[in-house]
Amino acid sequence: MSELAGLFQDYAPPNGKDYLPESLISPKLWPRATLVWSIAYNSALVKNPPKTWMDLTKPEYGNKLIGQVIAPSGGTTWTRVMFERQVLGEDYWKKQAVTNPVLYPSGAPMSDALVRGEIAMGPLLYNIVYTKKRDGAPLEIFFGPEGAPVNPYASGVTTTAKNPNAAKLFLNWCLSEEGQTFMIKELGNLTSLRRAPVYPEGFDPKVVKVWLPNFDQYVKLHASWVEDWNKIYGYRQ
Amino acid sequence: MTAEAAALAAPAAKTERATRFGAVAGSLWSGALLALLGLLVLYPVAMLLLGALTNTNPVVDGFGVFDLSLANFLTVLANPNVHLALANSLLACAGGTALAVIIGLTFSWIVVRTNTPCRGFVAAASLIPLFVPPLVAGVAWSILGSPKSGLINTLMGWAGIPWRIDLYSMTGLIVVFGMYYAPYVYMFTASALRNMDPSLEEAAEIAGVGPVRTLFTITFPLIAPAIISGMLLSFIVMLGIYGIPAVLGAPGDIPVLTTYIFKLTNWSPPLYSTAAAVAIILMAVTGALVLLQQRVLAGRSFTTVAGKAFRPRVIELGPWRWFTLSLALLYLFTVVVLPTLALIVAAFRRFLFIPNVGSLFDMRHYSLVHFDAVFDNPLTMRSIWNTMEVGLMTAVVGGIIAFAIGYTVHRSNAPARRAIDLVATLPVAIPGLVIGVAYLWAWIGLPGGLYGTIWILALAFVARFMPDTMKSLSTSFLQIHRELEEAAWICGKGRVATIRTIVLPLARPGTVAAMTLLFILAIRELGSSLFLYTSDTMVMAVLLLDYYEGGNTGKAAAWSRRSSRLSTSASPRSRWRWCVPRAGSSSPVSRRKPPPASSQPTWSIIPIARS
Repeated sequence: MSELAGLFQDYAPPNGKDYLPESLISPKLWPRATLVWSIAYNSALVKNPPKTWMDLTKPEYGNKLIGQVIAPSGGTTWTRVMFERQVLGEDYWKKQAVTNPVLYPSGAPMSDALVRGEIAMGPLLYNIVYTKKRDGAPLEIFFGPEGAPVNPYASGVTTTAKNPNAAKLFLNWCLSEEGQTFMIKELGNLTSLRRAPVYPEGFDPKVVKVWLPNFDQYVKLHASWVEDWNKIYGYRQ
Repeated sequence: MTAEAAALAAPAAKTERATRFGAVAGSLWSGALLALLGLLVLYPVAMLLLGALTNTNPVVDGFGVFDLSLANFLTVLANPNVHLALANSLLACAGGTALAVIIGLTFSWIVVRTNTPCRGFVAAASLIPLFVPPLVAGVAWSILGSPKSGLINTLMGWAGIPWRIDLYSMTGLIVVFGMYYAPYVYMFTASALRNMDPSLEEAAEIAGVGPVRTLFTITFPLIAPAIISGMLLSFIVMLGIYGIPAVLGAPGDIPVLTTYIFKLTNWSPPLYSTAAAVAIILMAVTGALVLLQQRVLAGRSFTTVAGKAFRPRVIELGPWRWFTLSLALLYLFTVVVLPTLALIVAAFRRFLFIPNVGSLFDMRHYSLVHFDAVFDNPLTMRSIWNTMEVGLMTAVVGGIIAFAIGYTVHRSNAPARRAIDLVATLPVAIPGLVIGVAYLWAWIGLPGGLYGTIWILALAFVARFMPDTMKSLSTSFLQIHRELEEAAWICGKGRVATIRTIVLPLARPGTVAAMTLLFILAIRELGSSLFLYTSDTMVMAVLLLDYYEGGNTGKAAAWSRRSSRLSTSASPRSRWRWCVPRAGSSSPVSRRKPPPASSQPTWSIIPIARS
């Protein structure tokens, strides 16, 4: 994080000690939003829905029924990709690639394709599909029992901020229990607080364990693993 | 020296001084214009070339840190993904061009050579696709022709028809390209058919040759230059299109050069050098085709135009004339009515999940939610404002520059006129997307520069559409007889005063029309904007793409309906005024006899549907 030195002011929220230390990448940056991966399917199309991450490798869901966001899409997807290989197994990608999934550049077009029925199921960030389901889209969402990969989105106050006090006040609210409750209930995120004030519908912390990437590996493994992923899924970069 | 001799010598010396001053002023003026064009056109292209030869990132490494080597360019050339994108581009454009030729040629024959009813209507219908932005066409056809959720497949399933269509394929790209770029072939061939002396066809008829054989052995070979020219033009335009392959090609994993370039700048980290190298490949292919087209245009275009008066030969089709009319109606229905209906359904439907026909007509699924969401988005109003601002800036700045260049090239004897003309026409061979990448390279690394401002968009548009504006203006200049200016000079007016009092008032309608054209082109431009906008300078065309790629097909449809209306109301009548009469005289708007094919402006109508 040396490259961030000097970019951000010292800042910590009043409830800083309530946050999971492993969700922090710098004492100046705090996980305002914590995004979590879920599995979604089109309930009008899928009569025998998947129930686990491993189900997304089943041959019965072949023939382009599964959608996947490409590994080079960005950091949040990279977390999911790491989770798949490190938790679900070295051969998970190969097993899933056999089902010939449809690849998408990001989660937003994939969620639209899921609602339209272009694909039937796939892993998506909960905040992308949650609002669609809430508004009446034919979707069902669940969290795989093998784990829920999460990505804390770091926020801080830049050294050049014109209104640093206003920024701190805003972040204080966002990071407060009230703010995190809003993030979960209204925006479909999770939280990096040690004790979550509330959980998304269907998220049982006794069954589903939150999975955070190791940040060292997050950086070191990226290039070679993304290359592997591209090869296995036949994605041309 | 006597006093008389001195009196005679004084005016001569004065004239000589004036001539010398005029020469110096002319040189300075030409130099200034060349410098301006250099900044607008040559500098960005040079930076693009430089970008292709380096592997540094201008954003991270700063401006001027170039580790020049051919290796980057050679690596790109050897990349199989680039080969695939190039092959896909050539295949899609070749297939699309073939279909465009079939459609365009059929319609030009129907309009010019047959007694099909409502030919004026057919002529107008043939040109309508020119006004549909490619991205809107792509979105509409994805709603209609998706293999799994397309409305056409849903309807065919309901009707018990076992066939299914898949427009997320190379065939889909070719069909949509062919349908929407047929007007380019139509414009060239309709004009050539109208200008063609029918005596050879009559001779064939007297010799007992049937009408179909006459068509293929006499008529089409005679207008071959126009067909080839229209073909090349539609190929060139398709090659630079982003919207259609972005929507229809991406789900089927069919990258083309334009979508590949955009993807390169969207990865994390963005691969600007690779994008520059691929952009150069695209520019080279386009440039070669433009040169080829110009060679064709300069070739046999005159051979079918005779000096004597004639009327185009009209074939009496009898009852078949209703068949030809139904072909025109089918085309109109396919390229206009069907996509419009698809966009209306998507814009008003809460979710675009239509499992059956019953669901399609279930009114409970319809609402104004997407329109509300679009207008609740602060970016919407900002994009409208930005679009109008950039349109006005482009029109005014581009109009002034084009006027200055046009006057210099056509009405003055300033030095380096040919060079000025050449540089101003150069962007013809540069697709909008490439201009965008070139401007990105030219300005992104310069601190405090243009990047991130609305001006970079306006200047990129000025450069991109310079040939179109020049072409529009040059006709106005050529219409003003030189003796009017000479009369002003004899009366003692200087150059500037002559321009102000003689040339400008006479060329005003043409100038205003050229600026209007520039405004319309600017507010629709997507290709160049993609690489140059920021959230503060978002324009309407980019917002549409943003909605679509952000997974909001409903919002994209709602916005495409709304933005089309805004664009149309911002430019009333001017589209027809500038495009239809130039399209080859077959429109109901203009019945004047067109000039010979070779003298018609070829580029002034192109960009309406570009990018």
